Amino acid sequence: MKAHTFIKTKEGREIRMKKSMKHVGIFLIAMLVFAMAGCSNDTSNGTEKKAAGKKSDYPTKPITLIAPSSAGGGTDATARALTADIEKYLGQSVGVVNKPGGSGSVGMTEGANAKPDGYTVTMVFVELTMYKHLGLSPLGHDQFKPIGLINLDPAALTVPKDAPYDTLEEFIAYAKEHPGKVKVGNSGTGSIWHIAAESISKKADVKFNHVPFEGAAQAVTALVGGHVDAVTVSPAEVKAQLDAGKVKTLAVMSDSRSDIIPDVPTFKEAGLDVDPVGTWRGLTVPKDTPDDIVAKLEDAFMKAAKDEKFTKFMASSGLGIELKDSKEFKKFMDDNYKQFGEILSDIGLSK
Amino acid sequence: MNLLLDGLSNILQWQVLLVLVVGTVLGIAIGSLPGLTSTMGVAVILPVTFGMEPVTGILLLVGVYFGSVYGGSLTAILLNTPGTPASAATAIDGYALAKKGLAHKALTVSTLSSAIGGMISVIVLILVAPQLANFALKFSAPESFALALFGLSIISSLAGKSVVKGIITGFIGLLIATIGLDPMVGIPRFTFDKMELTGGINFIPVMIGLFAASEAFKSMEDIFSTRKLSFTVEKVKLKWSEFKTLIGTILRSSGIGTFIGMIPGAGADISAFVAYNEAKRFSKNKEGFGKGELKGVAAPESANNSVTGGAMIPLLTLGIPGDAVTAVLLGALMVQGLQPGPMLFEANGPIVYTLFIGMLLANLLILIIGLPGIKLFTKILYVPKAVLTPIILILCTVGAYSLGNSYFDVLVMFAAGVIGYFMQRYDFPASPLILGLILGPMMESNLRRSLVMSEGSISIFFTRPISAILLIIAIITLFAPLFNKLMKRGKGSESHKVQS
Repeated sequence: MKAHTFIKTKEGREIRMKKSMKHVGIFLIAMLVFAMAGCSNDTSNGTEKKAAGKKSDYPTKPITLIAPSSAGGGTDATARALTADIEKYLGQSVGVVNKPGGSGSVGMTEGANAKPDGYTVTMVFVELTMYKHLGLSPLGHDQFKPIGLINLDPAALTVPKDAPYDTLEEFIAYAKEHPGKVKVGNSGTGSIWHIAAESISKKADVKFNHVPFEGAAQAVTALVGGHVDAVTVSPAEVKAQLDAGKVKTLAVMSDSRSDIIPDVPTFKEAGLDVDPVGTWRGLTVPKDTPDDIVAKLEDAFMKAAKDEKFTKFMASSGLGIELKDSKEFKKFMDDNYKQFGEILSDIGLSK
Repeated sequence: MNLLLDGLSNILQWQVLLVLVVGTVLGIAIGSLPGLTSTMGVAVILPVTFGMEPVTGILLLVGVYFGSVYGGSLTAILLNTPGTPASAATAIDGYALAKKGLAHKALTVSTLSSAIGGMISVIVLILVAPQLANFALKFSAPESFALALFGLSIISSLAGKSVVKGIITGFIGLLIATIGLDPMVGIPRFTFDKMELTGGINFIPVMIGLFAASEAFKSMEDIFSTRKLSFTVEKVKLKWSEFKTLIGTILRSSGIGTFIGMIPGAGADISAFVAYNEAKRFSKNKEGFGKGELKGVAAPESANNSVTGGAMIPLLTLGIPGDAVTAVLLGALMVQGLQPGPMLFEANGPIVYTLFIGMLLANLLILIIGLPGIKLFTKILYVPKAVLTPIILILCTVGAYSLGNSYFDVLVMFAAGVIGYFMQRYDFPASPLILGLILGPMMESNLRRSLVMSEGSISIFFTRPISAILLIIAIITLFAPLFNKLMKRGKGSESHKVQS
């Protein structure tokens, strides 16, 4: 615009200028404007130039990490702990922004629709692979490019200490004798822990009375108070009660034993071959983000996840660390999407 | 006792004391800003504590937690802007007192009641935590439903001039609470395919709008009208004789607060309303409530601060967090290698007792910082309305946005502000709406959860003693104003006869 008006004034003064000269003039002025733009904002221009060439100097400014949950939950804590020292590995700081709502779909949708420039990273969790099935949101994991998986916690079948069963086998036998009477607490209908309980009931062919609570903590409280007979939540969520000797965990729904409760067998070891079900948290960027930026983020976040401070934090919070790189994480989400789709349609929750 | 003395000597180190002071001051600031809740304050400070010693780190969080619950009352009284939901009940009489020019007195009462309530709850925590904790476990879905119903029955006493209008706004609150995902089966209700609505309408922006924004809109009238209407602040101090009349209320409310704080899923906001209701029930001067009654400030403030100690009971003794703040504190304790639960007292006795002393000190600090601060806080009332009103609106906007970093919440806040303006104009009380909005989800999900547990039989509400007792109290509370009216009418007609 500026160049245009300038030309007009010039035109006004040198009115007899030849047409070809005029074109040259426009070209020259256009170049000048470009150069000036380059001077005033040379960082972004530099990035463009280098990106076109071999390697970008991304990141040149702080990065935002969307935590699609309220301040204070496990997702928020993981995000904050992971980014606390990330500047070491990334060269820029990462600020955590909480965007709760819609079981995480509000924050994740914003993350998926962010500019694909690598400056908005989203911490996604297991619900991302369930929104479409549940009809909660049209958002799916295919709208993201994965950076990596950070955390995975399996479901752990936990019962009160004085329950009349000590093993998974005895629990299932008891449930078969009392169909529909065993109250299993979960963290909400259609939640991951509900899926866990339904997976058990499907595989073992028993009927439970599923009692949904607002979050796992409430379900565990009800278990300790004797208001429900079992819960299927993560080891971290029952750890305090396990240590206090108020509850016992019969089995964990994963391929290998949990580091937090290594004495507890997996479902397979305990005699029920059920697919692993667990909650997880990983990092993603919008799907059109350039691969070299994803690689940089992958490298930095994987290093940060191995940082001693972070691993100590996770261990003391009872959260399991499970690292998967971009490719593995993508396959993992694909598998989850398929697995949960089947269970949710079996129990009539699929839309 | 030895452990307590050891705790005292552990506390008396300058780092620990400094951290407590910093935490409490931070907490008061966070609490007084609308939209910044106690939970948010504690969660944001949490990462700072990772590198600290266990006692120092936890006490920083305790300071923030306790301070923020108190801080909410400052703006509630001065500006009719409850800084936290826990202070919504305080705004009713607190602001009425400020309008009368008695802000200084109201703040003194709120500071004293907050500190005393907090200390009482900590003392209960120290003395009988393990015994009470097992009682808290008896609370499950049917009891929570009964408690929520009891809470709702309070509407009849919050209603002010017209019980009918109070019930109308209460039901509107309940109706708004049904927006969002169904709490049991996750079916969207009244969401109109809007993603922002799936989580329901957050009651905090509604509260900020109804109380603060509507008040700001109303004061705009005064700015443009020629009529001068600015508050005077009379330097009327609280007299000892006045304080004496409040002691009963403070003690009762502290008991209520400690008890409700202990129950999983019920927190400071509910306790403040319940205490307000009980103060009114026991008062001889029922008419004075809502028009600037000191007991109407003392009750909610001592109750919401005593929730803090109460909430620590199940947290420390059982490892069960009763609400969102204690859930964050649970995380903080675990990061420090302190696993809450029955073993905590045996394994980490000295630390636990140091924390207890720290909690008492934090409440003392509220007194030490709060009382001299009152003069400073009341200065806000000298700010001309033309300056103060835009500032309040900015605070409302920032507060609503910062909750979930969402513009939608800002829209909700402004909509609530406009509605609140007209509600005020036509004498529809705002508090019942807030109460309905807070209690609606709690009541609905616990009702349905109970019925899932009992496989559809409603006898679950009557065969469990705690639930049955609470339901009876709820029915009494709901119909109390009606009975009173009938009794008065009866008496009135009698006296009439005598006269004639």
